[in-house]
Amino acid sequence: MSVTRFAALLLAWNISAAAAAQAIPPAATTYDDGPIAFGGDVAVTFGSPDPGWFDFTDYGVSALRQARVSLSGAWRPTPRVALLGRVRAQTGEGVETAGLYVRIRPWPKRRIDIQVGRIPPVFGSYSRRTYGADNPLIGVPLAYQYLTTLRTDAAPASADDLLRLRGRGWLSPLPLGARPRSGLPLVNGLRWDTGAQVHVGSARLSGAVAMTVGSLSNPRTAEDNGGRQVAGRVEWRPTAAWIVGVSGSRGAYATRSLMSAVPPQATGADLLQRAGGADVEYSRAHWVWRNEAVLSTWDVPRVRVPYPTPRVRALALASEGRYTIFPGAYAAARVERLGFSRLTGSATTDTWDANVTRVEAGGGYKLQRRVLLKAVYQHNWRDGGRIRAERLGAAQLLVWF
Amino acid sequence: MALVHGFPLPAALLAAATLWLVPVRVTARPPATGAIRGRVDVVRPAAAPERRPNVNDLGAAVPRELADRQRAVVYLETAPRGAFEDREPARARLDQRHEAFVPHVLPIVVGTTVDFPNNDRTYHNVFSLSRTQRFDLGRYAAGHSKAVRFDRPGIVRVFCDIHSHMSAFILVFSHPFFAATDADGRYRIDNVPPGTYAVVAWYEGSVRETRSVTVPERAAVDADFVIP
Repeated sequence: MSVTRFAALLLAWNISAAAAAQAIPPAATTYDDGPIAFGGDVAVTFGSPDPGWFDFTDYGVSALRQARVSLSGAWRPTPRVALLGRVRAQTGEGVETAGLYVRIRPWPKRRIDIQVGRIPPVFGSYSRRTYGADNPLIGVPLAYQYLTTLRTDAAPASADDLLRLRGRGWLSPLPLGARPRSGLPLVNGLRWDTGAQVHVGSARLSGAVAMTVGSLSNPRTAEDNGGRQVAGRVEWRPTAAWIVGVSGSRGAYATRSLMSAVPPQATGADLLQRAGGADVEYSRAHWVWRNEAVLSTWDVPRVRVPYPTPRVRALALASEGRYTIFPGAYAAARVERLGFSRLTGSATTDTWDANVTRVEAGGGYKLQRRVLLKAVYQHNWRDGGRIRAERLGAAQLLVWF
Repeated sequence: MALVHGFPLPAALLAAATLWLVPVRVTARPPATGAIRGRVDVVRPAAAPERRPNVNDLGAAVPRELADRQRAVVYLETAPRGAFEDREPARARLDQRHEAFVPHVLPIVVGTTVDFPNNDRTYHNVFSLSRTQRFDLGRYAAGHSKAVRFDRPGIVRVFCDIHSHMSAFILVFSHPFFAATDADGRYRIDNVPPGTYAVVAWYEGSVRETRSVTVPERAAVDADFVIP
């Protein structure tokens, strides 16, 4: 059975169950107040075709045309230990254990947590949105989804290779390494990395540090290059209205096979991805306003002239607003810009990938408390590639439990 | 001077005129009312909804208060004559405390204004999509409160848009013959005119038992309920 059909069946079952529950006042789904808790959602999204690949993720599907079922669970056998996991099935992926880790709180009354396993990302703020309803729109922010031309298993030999492939991240035929496949986003918002994490904090100020086997743009379940990523985040909540966060990460992103394909003198010991992020959220009354900036650099080998700069850079900026119009209905919009540093090739100087601007606007309406219907309009502009602009529309039916 | 029943005439005329001007206060005997009292024994109280596991969090969530889910509401299915007279607007309170609505069940009479103070450090966003009353109070911080007036009878489910495990019931009655049970499960409905009534025990979103009760004059009748 396909994920789409399975999701549709689950949607129908959930909606009919919710409708039945409305006959008498709709009772919330209750779980035993014990050590086990579940939650999840089912989302089916119908959208315009995306021939420009603006919304494709590294799963090879458009975020505007997919079905997804996700189930999160927590088991707390003792106050000190919890096992948390997330299973997800979505179009183009099948069933995947997206996260599975142990959370240890050595001193139950102190806010110190150690998490080990396939752990949630510490970098950025969008990664913290667990459920589909946490995203007021349908599209995923560019920093967490848009595929650049860089890859973990292939590399450019010269600046010309990158300049030639601008805007073709969905299938990037870089000459050094493996055969063509999709490129890397700045931050992979869909996959989790494997390692250990420590979180310390109070209600106002908290921080987390993680050491994992993958990298920000390529989280992994097992290492493929012998490198380790260190990532951290500090979050400050001066009042209930404000959340201010800064994040950073540094990790090797190139696979062992790529490193062996690159002449040793063309690169250092590792090809590293370094990233920094800042995010601010302000909310009041019926408004929520979120802003996020992600700056990422990747080391690239210098094999042939014209050499690329030793590091290429990308900066993603996003601003998102949500306003509740009346009970159960909201409007939302996100404006984004993804820009790249410049390279000088044999014939031209340009950004190493095509800059992208995106505006997405839409809204949501709660058909019932647990049934949300979203609709969005998205406009993308890109200053390179075969398709330079695209207007997309999508609707999503989301049921959570 | 002529006397009318012993009063000087001008005084009698004045008194008669005054009687026309001032509404006559008929000192009729107050209706002899009774009461219904008893206990609602909830054998297996509903469990408080667990938080949805936020697996993306970097640490465990802060402790929360589990709302008292023992409380039931007992009310008359049909109210006696005179129950719908105009009343003074009332005020009630539904707290947001340790990520729970307190009380979990709030019975009120039509026309009551309910205050929703936030006593947590975090934001809450109280809303309801119930047909009886739709509202969304938006986000507001600790120490602040917003209010909603309930003008239609019915059941209103109240939720927090930020904390999905928070929920409460507001039962809006068009008559005053109802009572919520206390911590021991006891209730008392006073000032019930004598007669036979259908008395309803309501718990966690549904009517659990309806019983016929005859209320005598100036006495209380017992009606106990067991909710399995």
